[in-house]
Amino acid sequence: MEALIGFFGDKLHVSGTLALSLAYATCIGSLLGFVTVYAMFAIWMERKVAAHMQVRYGPMETGGWHGWSQSIADAVKLLFKEDLLPRDANQVLFWIAPAIVFCGVFAGLVAVPFAVGVQIADVHLGLFLILSLAAVEVVGVIMAGWASNSKYALFGAVREAAQVVSYEVPAAVALLVPVLVVGSFRLGDFNAWQEEHGWLVFHNPFVVVSALIFFIASLAGCKRAPFDLPEAESELVSGFHTEYSGMRFSFFFLEEYVSMFVSSLLVATLFFGGWTLPFLNVSAMPAPVGLVVLLAKTFFFIFVQMWLRWTLPRLRVDQVMAMGFKYLLPWGFVCVVATAVFEAQGWRWLPV
Amino acid sequence: MGGIREYFGNISDALVTTVKGMAITGRHFTSEPPITVQYPRDRLAVPPSYRGVHILEQQKCIDCKLCAKACPVDCIEIEAVHHGRILEWQKFTIDYKKCIFCEFCIPPCPKDCIHMTAEYEMATAVNDTMIEDLLTWTGLRANDRREVEAGEAKKAGKPAPPAPEGVTPQPGGPAGGNAAPSGVVVTSAYAPGSPGAPGGLPRGPRKARDGSASPAAPAAPASAAAPAAPAAPAAPGGDLAARVAAIKAGLASKGKGPS
Repeated sequence: MEALIGFFGDKLHVSGTLALSLAYATCIGSLLGFVTVYAMFAIWMERKVAAHMQVRYGPMETGGWHGWSQSIADAVKLLFKEDLLPRDANQVLFWIAPAIVFCGVFAGLVAVPFAVGVQIADVHLGLFLILSLAAVEVVGVIMAGWASNSKYALFGAVREAAQVVSYEVPAAVALLVPVLVVGSFRLGDFNAWQEEHGWLVFHNPFVVVSALIFFIASLAGCKRAPFDLPEAESELVSGFHTEYSGMRFSFFFLEEYVSMFVSSLLVATLFFGGWTLPFLNVSAMPAPVGLVVLLAKTFFFIFVQMWLRWTLPRLRVDQVMAMGFKYLLPWGFVCVVATAVFEAQGWRWLPV
Repeated sequence: MGGIREYFGNISDALVTTVKGMAITGRHFTSEPPITVQYPRDRLAVPPSYRGVHILEQQKCIDCKLCAKACPVDCIEIEAVHHGRILEWQKFTIDYKKCIFCEFCIPPCPKDCIHMTAEYEMATAVNDTMIEDLLTWTGLRANDRREVEAGEAKKAGKPAPPAPEGVTPQPGGPAGGNAAPSGVVVTSAYAPGSPGAPGGLPRGPRKARDGSASPAAPAAPASAAAPAAPAAPAAPGGDLAARVAAIKAGLASKGKGPS
């Protein structure tokens, strides 16, 4: 960010405020571009992964090679589709709900360090900021469900509202564990710490459990199977976005894939070393190397999310609650306390 | 203590079953080639006894209408004018909007001239095209016309019934008796094979599609001076014969099969 401001100041000879605005515009534009391209790729990837797990081909026609441009065709179709507004819908809420949903997860990318120095805002409470902004998304989902004036959409929204409590709390508790070990909320610090001490999952056994808890909770946060109750296709048509079409619908779709990206990126950054690699000093290498390493890890976890989606059946509402409150949350507390003890005593895997 | 056992049992069950399930889907993902077929380009083999669109060996058909009577949904309509044993074909249609592909029309045929092919792509956007005419030609073929007119001329000349040889198939003629009888004097007003001769041109369903639409299944050989000359107009496209042979071979091998 500072580098961009300096670049605009030096090369274009613009004043401070203008340079700042230009830098922000560049950052937001590049992030939006990245997110769009990523979402298209991820949707194509999801379809191919799903197809091959079901021993079929998936999209094969559009664009020639294995239907690589299927997502582009779909995006063009969605762009030109009619934007429908149900007669009895609450117009204002109906219109701003997709924006809120998308902004919630998209804004979280601001605090994400992609590589050494590749970060828009080096927020000291970066982890906290990302989690809070991701929680805003739920408001948009409930708005969409309520404003649609459709019972399926309302059911989806209410399920989301019921589900959010049972996954947000375990996720937050599980994230306390790496924070406890590293001693910071700044995401850059996690990378630096892991460069020095090795990946956090290998730190002590309770970090492994907390990584698992956070990954499961983040699945629910992305509304992915087996926690896709808010948009359960087989029960609620398509849940909270039943009444949406065209571009507004595609915002919900984009949001789902971006939040998959953010949560996978958090898992990779907090527990699996971020852009660091064992036996290699990636931080000393040029930034693109770190970027590629981090994106590779992120896409691995996105793949695992897809893998789980096409493996597990959907849980019932009460099962989601039980999962959150009876299993994830107590074990999260156990991990926090045990990690605190381990850290205080300087123990690693075995208390010696 | 049962509660605690159940609690930890649930956790281990969840982990174990998830890992098992992921192993299965992972195996499908990595090592099993897709079992589906990219349809328009790749196709699955159709069994030889498949009941698809009909074909008719028209030169063998005697217009007995047994197939139409056997049809449980009355989708076959046959019209032909009989000149002795020579048929002047009007139509032989199957309404595929009604047809249930039960194959009941095949066994009653005394001449074994109607068959079902393995062709199954019948989708169309227009209702009318669902009624298929199986005829390869309509009306009389040039040879038949000559024969019929000769017979009529004879009848007009002498009241005695026409000599049977007029319609008897000559030895060596194709089965079905459409060879031009060599002994008959041609008195037709039509020059054989001339464009004016009606009924000489083949007309049939699906010809455009299977490419064998031999526009050459043509009217009679131009020379009346070669009386025993190829009664080829009668010959259905080589394609039809080949398909019928293939169907019969398939059915036979199926009958002999292990099942």
